[in-house]
Amino acid sequence: MYPAIIEDYVRPTSVDEALKAAGKYEAGEAMFLAGGQSLMQAVKSRLVRPRCVIDLQALKELKGVSAGGGGIRIGAMTRYVEIMSDPNLKTAYGALADAAEHVGDRQVRNRGTIGGSLCWNYVAACMPAANLAVGSSMELLSATGKKRAVMVDDFIKGPLETARADDEVLLAVTLPAAPAKAGSAYKKWGVVTDALPVIGVAVYLELDGGGAIAKARLAVGGLATGPKRAKGAEAALAGKKAGDPGLAAALDKAASEIETQSDHWADSTYRKNLIRTLGADVLASAFARAAGK
Amino acid sequence: MTTKTGTNWVGAKYNRKEDHRLLTGKGRYLADLSMPGALHLVFVRSEQAHARIKKIDVSAAKKLPGVVTVLTGEDIKNKIKPMPQPVVQPALVAKYPRHWPLAVGKVKFHGEPIAVVVARDKYVAEDAAELIQAEYDPLPYIGDPEKALADKSNRVHEEWDDNIIFEMTFTGGADDASRAKNDAEVERIFKSADVVVRQRFRTHRCGMTPMETRGALMSWDDSDGLIAHVTTQRPHIDRLALSDILDIPAEKVRVIAPRDQGGGFGVKAPFYREPILVAYLARELKRPIRWVESRQEHLMAVSQERDQIHDIEIAASKDGKLLAMRNRGIADCGDGCEGVYWGFLMPFLGSVELPNAYDWPIGDVKLKVAVTNKSALSPARAFGELPTRFAMERAIDLVAKKCGMEPADFRRKNLVAHLPHTSITGEYFDSGDFLKVWDNLMAQVDLKGFRREQEAARKQGRYLGIGFGLGVELSGVASELLVPMESQPGYGAATVRVDPRAKVIVFEGDAPQGQGHETTVAQAVAGAFGIHPSDIVVTTGDTGTTPFGSGTIGARAGSYFISAAVMACAELKQKISRFMIHDLKIENATQDDFEFADGEIVYKKNSNIRKTFREMVERIIMAPINMPAGESGGLEHTAFFEAAKPMICFNADCAKVEVDIRTGQFKILNWTTSEDVGQIINPQIVEGQMQGAVIQGLSNTLFEQFIYDENGQQLTADFENYKLANAADVPDIKVTHAPTPCPYTPLGSRGIGEGRPSSVPGTITNAVCDALSPFGIEIAELPLRPNQIWQLIQNAKKKAAD
Amino acid sequence: MNKTVKITINGEIFEQSVPIRLLLSDFIREVAGLTGTHISCTYEGVCGACTVQLDGAAVKSCLMLATQADGHEVTTVEGLAKDGKLSPLQQAFNDHHALQCGFCTPGILMNMDEFLKKHPNPSDDEIRTGLIGNLCRCTGYAHIVDAVRDAAKRTR
Repeated sequence: MYPAIIEDYVRPTSVDEALKAAGKYEAGEAMFLAGGQSLMQAVKSRLVRPRCVIDLQALKELKGVSAGGGGIRIGAMTRYVEIMSDPNLKTAYGALADAAEHVGDRQVRNRGTIGGSLCWNYVAACMPAANLAVGSSMELLSATGKKRAVMVDDFIKGPLETARADDEVLLAVTLPAAPAKAGSAYKKWGVVTDALPVIGVAVYLELDGGGAIAKARLAVGGLATGPKRAKGAEAALAGKKAGDPGLAAALDKAASEIETQSDHWADSTYRKNLIRTLGADVLASAFARAAGK
Repeated sequence: MTTKTGTNWVGAKYNRKEDHRLLTGKGRYLADLSMPGALHLVFVRSEQAHARIKKIDVSAAKKLPGVVTVLTGEDIKNKIKPMPQPVVQPALVAKYPRHWPLAVGKVKFHGEPIAVVVARDKYVAEDAAELIQAEYDPLPYIGDPEKALADKSNRVHEEWDDNIIFEMTFTGGADDASRAKNDAEVERIFKSADVVVRQRFRTHRCGMTPMETRGALMSWDDSDGLIAHVTTQRPHIDRLALSDILDIPAEKVRVIAPRDQGGGFGVKAPFYREPILVAYLARELKRPIRWVESRQEHLMAVSQERDQIHDIEIAASKDGKLLAMRNRGIADCGDGCEGVYWGFLMPFLGSVELPNAYDWPIGDVKLKVAVTNKSALSPARAFGELPTRFAMERAIDLVAKKCGMEPADFRRKNLVAHLPHTSITGEYFDSGDFLKVWDNLMAQVDLKGFRREQEAARKQGRYLGIGFGLGVELSGVASELLVPMESQPGYGAATVRVDPRAKVIVFEGDAPQGQGHETTVAQAVAGAFGIHPSDIVVTTGDTGTTPFGSGTIGARAGSYFISAAVMACAELKQKISRFMIHDLKIENATQDDFEFADGEIVYKKNSNIRKTFREMVERIIMAPINMPAGESGGLEHTAFFEAAKPMICFNADCAKVEVDIRTGQFKILNWTTSEDVGQIINPQIVEGQMQGAVIQGLSNTLFEQFIYDENGQQLTADFENYKLANAADVPDIKVTHAPTPCPYTPLGSRGIGEGRPSSVPGTITNAVCDALSPFGIEIAELPLRPNQIWQLIQNAKKKAAD
Repeated sequence: MNKTVKITINGEIFEQSVPIRLLLSDFIREVAGLTGTHISCTYEGVCGACTVQLDGAAVKSCLMLATQADGHEVTTVEGLAKDGKLSPLQQAFNDHHALQCGFCTPGILMNMDEFLKKHPNPSDDEIRTGLIGNLCRCTGYAHIVDAVRDAAKRTR
């Protein structure tokens, strides 16, 4: 339960330097280390054996949440403890704060980062599901200096897989400026409090002037194949107001369209039930946040 | 913060003496000990559950720089005697599987040690362990205990003719004829009884897994022999076992349990195979060897208990009197390769304790224990009885409901009302007052008010429930039971040494792991000598300095060890008193005429006649001239406390819950207990034991579960998968007392804490079932998880709709 | 394979060449000789026994390489008591019998010491949630909650 031999450790002070360091190694041999709350488990259990660890802790430009005219930018190295209390992430993007607030525990939140979680993309992690719901975009920079933006839907692949290339660094998670009446929320359930979720549900709502859903995104985490959007449910939510019985029908739709697994934590039907019950809770929160309550 | 006045330290709130070092990072746990030049040992463990070993290739590992040696079972099988050895073999009739510290021939569970690597650096030792390649011929996995009991062809231990390690009838007398007669009478009662309940109850595999894993640090010296620091609850037993197995003369084996141990709860009580190898290699290599178990090893190899099935039948009259009980128990003990306990002693004692505190006219209790391809059951607090208590406390609720009675009323009506009492399985209850404890619980719990609240809540679609459970627990184990059960004495032993500066050192051969012995025994000794607890130090767990003790097990300290210390003090006080009479030329005084208080010794008949404690001890130790006739100098005494019969403590629990029927998730609204712990020595420590025990019981019931897949792969060897309760998962426990001092211990104290979790699974499950009584849900299987509860609600709804 | 690191632990500078793969927890225990930081879950970082403060924030030292702490300040349980006097939190643990075996205790103290700075007046629920990253097997947590609540009162 100790890491295999690591040949080199570097702590770049610029993104360029980080990418150059990675460029010295074959794909997969050098690994970027963010907060390390997942990666170090894998290193210690020798699931991964990086020859070189590139520690991103000194990259100040990757840290912090900023809001401007064009939307919100969350540096990839921003820690959960900062996300959960950021004033810009209370309403439209409250799902991200909800997820951050219940990742692991205080110590994990003091070190774990949004970028690290998204790039590791563990199946039961909270951040990928919450990001799928809010529709964030990933800003990536490659060793060749090429910057690209990838929508979270395209970024999240299968378990432990993302669209990030080995020679790319995730710079930031960006969110568009939210419309006036938008709210999102995330909630999970695990066998013990704040554990990795058996099921986690995130929803993002934009309401029209009358309080009906104009746009919805609903994502489910805790699945064997990684987080998924429930697009049928999203369509069914359109036009519904808070308290509408149609919301439950939309969640039934989500439960039926999402494939759930049975394992030693819960069986497939119970997971589907959790999609319904957690879904109802996050819909209520998202409505309230969108309405400014 | 000390709130006591005068010298009445027994029963006083006194802050623990252990705490300062533990709070400042100065505790000395096994992993904190070091020896110059110590090598690091790691085990390579089987990846298969049941397979013949074709080949283990260690060549690459041996070549790795920094590696000192690599061994497999083949290397040691002719050098180390196999288990069992008499010192760690009970006197009960059973099969005791032959095994070595490393697998020989075949592996019998996923996680069995197959090789060992010793290296100069622990990181390198792991590098080398990775290089070891084992080839296997898989054998069919034996995982289902019921099938294993019936299967004679596919066997865990091939030298046996079946997979039955132990079977026993606990009722009806000692011979076949009387048992047959008893069983026929039980059958007759069942045929004619008004009310009969039959139910199978199953408690999953889970255990106690202390925060500190196991470990050992041992050194060898040709003249002094083996010095073995081991995480253990039983240093004196380990010493004898290491001596016997490795053929080291016993005087050359010294076992030292570290002063600080990070919990044990039974897990550190067996004599395990790993320390044998550490000792063997320390002697072979003549270099210190250190092994610190990883959590993954720990969860694979030890810490697994419970795992019992009980087919229980209860007959009662319609007015709610228990008439008879019949139980067929089955336990899955894993491979059974574990010194002292052999995997089956826990279910054995569980069946002994099945009748609980109820007054049974007659019963028929039988148990069969199967070996399987899993880790041997290792002891866990609520030793063997957590499953039988779950079965019994649930079954009592079922019978009560069938009789149309409140389960609480039914319990009271059937409690043993007069002690002493011998149960139908032969368990002796020495003293106490079960009804007093029960009535105290009911006085805390407004049952009628709760029923009204429950009814009102149901009208709003909220499901509240109340559940009860109780347990009579052993306060230590008397020799009468421990000799046949574990081939060990039950007495408690303590050496009390007074030094010339009037400080007192108490030597304890047992090895605590957080129970606070340094504080409680200091309070008892301070009370006896009339001095301050800060003037008393306690040395534990070193076989080189302490009197023989069978270990810190089964709630022995409060009843046996502390009693021995108090007896030793009494002996020394009498000696001091004889010197007082002599030195002060007191006429007509006896050695009982002196009071030891506030650092002074006062002649009771004339309080002007007094001496300080320090003056007297200094005189006796340092100036042994002009002495009373026949006396010698010095102040040290070792006393042994033995109870003629086993002693008990008793407790009862009440839980209130609210179940969310949308999810099957529930919230514990509150939890109240009532305890008979006899004379309390330190109220905070007692409270801490109860809080901890109830939460452990809840954690076992709700969260923890060892899971083996269909091929015997253990899926739960880390805390991500083997879930322990965290602080946000559990309630505060309201602990109340209704004590009856034990008449058989000098202080009236009762050893407490070990069995305390056992009433918890029944209590909480009864509460959940009570909440869901509109659905007619009766849960018989643990763990108690929302998934199961929700499914039962769905089934009930579907049944109602059909 | 080695790197020289300079880590300040409890105000004392430890400068040493260490293998890159050396965990911070092992650096603290074996290089600095401060064995109050404990290892329980071994690799996962879920038990919290190894919790220390890194630049004032509670973190799990087993989930870090020692090199990651190069140039940083670490506080361990040995750094809590000042001039031989227990901190209010440590004293409250003693007064409330908030520890039994004591193995998890250093990690809990290091977490709660930071927690109380951020939550000077915590509710019981906040304390319990704050403790999620520290498993305790002995106490059932109730006395720990009592101690943290009382320490908050004493510190305010």
